[in-house]
Amino acid sequence: MTKSSEAISGAEPRNAALSKRLLDEYAAVRESLPGEVVSPARRQEAIQAISARGLPTTREENWRYTNLRPLERARFAPAAASAAVEAGALGTAAAIGAPALPLPSPSDLPPRLAGFARYAFVDGTFAPELSSPEEQAGLTVQSLRRAAQGTPGRPGSATVFQLSRALPALGNLSEARLALLNEAFATDTAAIHVGGAAEPARVELLFIALAGADSGASYPRVQLGLEPGSRLVLVERHIGAGAGSHFVNTSVDVDVGRGAHLTHYRLQQAGARATWLDTLSAVLAADARYGLLAINTGALSARSTTHIQMAGSGAELALSVAALGDRQQVQDNFALVEHIAPRARTEQTFRGIASGRARVAFNGKIAVREAAAGTDSRQSLRGLLAGPEAEIDVRPQLEIYTDDVRCSHGATAGKLDESMLFYLLSRGLSPEVAQRLLKWAFLEDVVSKIELPELRRQIEHDLAAQMADASLKELL
Amino acid sequence: MLKIENLHVKVDGKEILKGLTLTVPTGEVHAVMGPNGSGKSTLANVLAGRPGYEITSGTVTFQGRDLLALAPEERAREGVFLGFQYPVEIPGVNNVYLLKAAVNAARKHRGLEEVDAFEFLTLVKEKMRLMRMEDSMLSRGVNEGFSGGEKKRNEILQMLVLEPRLAILDETDSGLDIDALKIVAHGVNTLRSPERSLVLVTHYQRLLDYIVPDHVHVLVKGRIVRSGDKSLALELERRGYDWVTGEAA
Ligand SMILES: Nc1ncnc2c1ncn2[C@@H]1O[C@H](COP(=O)(O)OP(=O)(O)OP(=O)(O)O)[C@@H](O)[C@H]1O
Ligand SMILES: [Mg+2]
Repeated sequence: MTKSSEAISGAEPRNAALSKRLLDEYAAVRESLPGEVVSPARRQEAIQAISARGLPTTREENWRYTNLRPLERARFAPAAASAAVEAGALGTAAAIGAPALPLPSPSDLPPRLAGFARYAFVDGTFAPELSSPEEQAGLTVQSLRRAAQGTPGRPGSATVFQLSRALPALGNLSEARLALLNEAFATDTAAIHVGGAAEPARVELLFIALAGADSGASYPRVQLGLEPGSRLVLVERHIGAGAGSHFVNTSVDVDVGRGAHLTHYRLQQAGARATWLDTLSAVLAADARYGLLAINTGALSARSTTHIQMAGSGAELALSVAALGDRQQVQDNFALVEHIAPRARTEQTFRGIASGRARVAFNGKIAVREAAAGTDSRQSLRGLLAGPEAEIDVRPQLEIYTDDVRCSHGATAGKLDESMLFYLLSRGLSPEVAQRLLKWAFLEDVVSKIELPELRRQIEHDLAAQMADASLKELL
Repeated sequence: MLKIENLHVKVDGKEILKGLTLTVPTGEVHAVMGPNGSGKSTLANVLAGRPGYEITSGTVTFQGRDLLALAPEERAREGVFLGFQYPVEIPGVNNVYLLKAAVNAARKHRGLEEVDAFEFLTLVKEKMRLMRMEDSMLSRGVNEGFSGGEKKRNEILQMLVLEPRLAILDETDSGLDIDALKIVAHGVNTLRSPERSLVLVTHYQRLLDYIVPDHVHVLVKGRIVRSGDKSLALELERRGYDWVTGEAA
């Protein structure tokens, strides 16, 4: 019996009223959800699993830092599906049409990165108007909804690529529930498949939240598969249009084949009033390399769940996360790195800054299973408390079931270094500039890992803007 | 330029400076010597405005103004410079950025425009040559991975670029090899002028061979117990502090 089925049968459904509402909302829109994206049977299974288990609550250990209150008021049905139901359009992929709101103009979007094919999704659904596809050797990118509709001119649209592995791949259902929620309601999937090619493929996925939370949710969904030996640089960016509040629940599934290399930048820049939930699950085959770098600055309440399985021997992972919280923001991160196969190397770096009344958390768990001899795992988690009412929580967790491991981990949380601060003041810098400069420096361990100069500049500008400091622009 | 009268300072409830009086006229170089723990760095830090020091009595006047009433950054912009005994490393904050931000902060204070980026870099590089520092040090983090001597040279570089009115150099000579000592002394000497004052905290009279002071003061247990000219340093070197403490007792 697997852990997940235990969890389903064993636990009392919590949040009974919430579960009931979830089922009702699902029942109301399920006819309008495209079966080509997720089959009705899988949707049904997913919704039943969550309602049986209940949505996460802060009483659960791995959710205690998350702000889950938005779930209580959330409308779970996708905005577009609700609109389709109202319009009487049911049954197929075509049901979910263009969003009711006008699309943002391309000039309002982040500048494109040279050499990257851009695929934009509005409220989780592919938006060709805002995309700039590009043919690249070995690369197939599809909107599963469009592919099913037989949109012409999209390479490889005849063979819809599906991940071999079905959700939930997360070993523990408890952390997979939001991914199941996505599976139940998804309106589209960005399916990326990379075969061997001389040059690494370069793709940008741009997810734009448009619908306000009161008209429904948005479910960005990515399935990413790298064939053995292939290479991909992926930029995944989440933004919000306007200052609206959005309810976004993202699910990303990653399969890195033997010896394949994936560099994955994730930028969470959701709107200032948005709720942003996210589950990324990745499996690495032997000798695969995965560089995952996330910069989380947006949303009012954000939670990222990351689960990475080192399933093949000699696989390598560099997971770097920077999170900035200001005002009333909650930035919660949970990362589980699981060593299953021998001789894998993993490195986790977290730098978080909590200012204002924000709460920033990183719960980094490393599990080394019996067979994972020769594991090399490093963890460096650092939190910076930059406001008297802010909260920072960094929590390393180690679970080791074999002797032959090298694990090093360090976790610190503290304030700005007084002697550094005084040094800068003694040179005439104002306390505000000095503090921002030190905060900036604090993020350097993550930011310096961005290998694309163009992207790095963009991110530095965004970070400087987030820190609301004009004087930092000089730095760039 | 600087007038310290009957200054009493406590650190963590313990009195460290116990009625220190010292006047440094404009254009002069004063050396402050004294045994370990006598309060030299405390004095330097108090003048620069470091938090954590409780001034229980006394006054410090800088160019006719109450220095103690100014915030650390205001003192710096008014032209007070502290060369730290132990310069801190600040990884991630770029050396040249700090220099530029410091210069611009002072200029803004005086109602001047920001420096031209190109002219600024040219000036910095010229000063770096004077300090025999490699250009590559500019793009590194502040003092990041610098050797002890390199850190001290970086302090002097900052001083040369900032051109303070009053520089307090806390043991800038310790940890320097003989060549570096000459380089640092030369750098300091280029800044000597009738408009500027300098306070050199040092343990070694050797520095004073290169930067000849107008006055030498001996600080013992939080008080200036003796002042004299350059020859006092030589005498101290010969006879040790027991000589002055014995006399003071
Ligand atoms: N934060 C502190 N808490 C307690 N005592 C302190 C603190 N800072 C300094 N002191 C004490 O104050 C005294 C003077 O220290 P200071 O650093 O000023 O000496 P100094 O003359 O510069 O010595 P050195 O020649 O070794 O640099 C010492 O006894 C020191 O231990
Ligand atoms: Mg000292």
